[in-house]
Amino acid sequence: MPPQIVRLVLLTIVIVCLYFTARHFFVPQSFGKYGHYRGAAIEEIRAREPLWAGRKECETCHSEVVEKLAKADHQGISCETCHSPARGHVEDPDVVKLPKMNAAMCARCHEASPSRPKWLHQITVADHYPGSCTECHTPHQPKL
Amino acid sequence: MSENFAQRSAVKSQGPGFAGASPYRVKNMTRRSVLRNLAGIAGGILAMPAAQVCKAAVQNGLASSNAPAGYDPTRHKWLMALDVDRCIGCGMCVEACQKENGVPQDCFRTWIERYVIKKPGPESGNARGETVVDSPDGGKEGFPALPVPKAEVLKSFFVPKLCNLCDHSPCTQVCPVGATFDAPDGAVLVDKNYCIGCGFCIQACPYGCRFFNPVTHTADKCTLCYHRITRGLKPACVEICPSQARIFGDLKHPVADDPLQRFIANNKVEKLKESLGTGPQVAYAGLDEVVR
Repeated sequence: MPPQIVRLVLLTIVIVCLYFTARHFFVPQSFGKYGHYRGAAIEEIRAREPLWAGRKECETCHSEVVEKLAKADHQGISCETCHSPARGHVEDPDVVKLPKMNAAMCARCHEASPSRPKWLHQITVADHYPGSCTECHTPHQPKL
Repeated sequence: MSENFAQRSAVKSQGPGFAGASPYRVKNMTRRSVLRNLAGIAGGILAMPAAQVCKAAVQNGLASSNAPAGYDPTRHKWLMALDVDRCIGCGMCVEACQKENGVPQDCFRTWIERYVIKKPGPESGNARGETVVDSPDGGKEGFPALPVPKAEVLKSFFVPKLCNLCDHSPCTQVCPVGATFDAPDGAVLVDKNYCIGCGFCIQACPYGCRFFNPVTHTADKCTLCYHRITRGLKPACVEICPSQARIFGDLKHPVADDPLQRFIANNKVEKLKESLGTGPQVAYAGLDEVVR
């Protein structure tokens, strides 16, 4: 075989070997575990800590409020929907306090709109009553 | 040149070790070359643990994880369903999603659209008039007054939107680096460490569910709150929705009287843009024909 061909073949073999060596080092171990992607990415994506604590966490301390709510029209609503994210409060209940309800929160759902479904109790806030919602309604038992 | 080469070979093959011309003799084999090859193989074997250490170091440099162990994605199948008749357009879900996932301003993993169908014009011969769709700030702050006079409105309703969890997702098919994928549990996820931010997937999604995250410079989308659902919590939007317009569950592990199974069994559910062949999974009930 002519030497230039031999050199060419050797060079090709070296390049192919280098490719496989580099591939061995750079392709992540978990690649192809579930499909054509890095399986470890699933673990990385789920590593973050949740912010909203969930109703079950609230129930561990405030079971009497949750029970009261369960009998009222607002039974399906999560505590944090009105009281904002509770993660900090769950971890350190004495330091982190959650805000109480305010009238803007009531209007956000109950202000009348033709787009809103008919089953929802709606009011035109401007015509309804000039004072505060909580003068007549308690959010945990909203019916008068 | 070639003559020289042939001569050299000839000289080598006549070395002292190969005096008797056996038919099995290997050309050019000498004691020295055999020992050299054996030493090379032994060296290679000895170097393998070191190579493994190097490989681990390289890959740790590329990415690392601190997730709690014990989640097997092949043993779950997550799905969300939406009840259009229950959505009141308060925008709490959009806000909850943005807070939970640190979604930048003006980007949305989920959003609410308001559909307003006008009455048909006089003698137009149509059953309904023009459709106006708006979603100011994704509906995050609720919705302002209707964009058309109240007297002209035939019908109006809200539709929550999110990733449709396609079975044949076009967004994952166009990714040039394998950074976005359909997880075995139904979620369509983005590997932020491998995404190069080319934006192909953002263009490929026919539902407009992906966006370019200006902070991480990668594609971003709804993960079904993957960090929550794998810890036994509901996605933030489902947790916070005050009217149960969003129903979430695990099809492989239904709870007693499973709300998702019950919802899909008792309603005529539809998928968005099914004709595109993307195999969307997110089920909508009460969908009007104008919704896309």
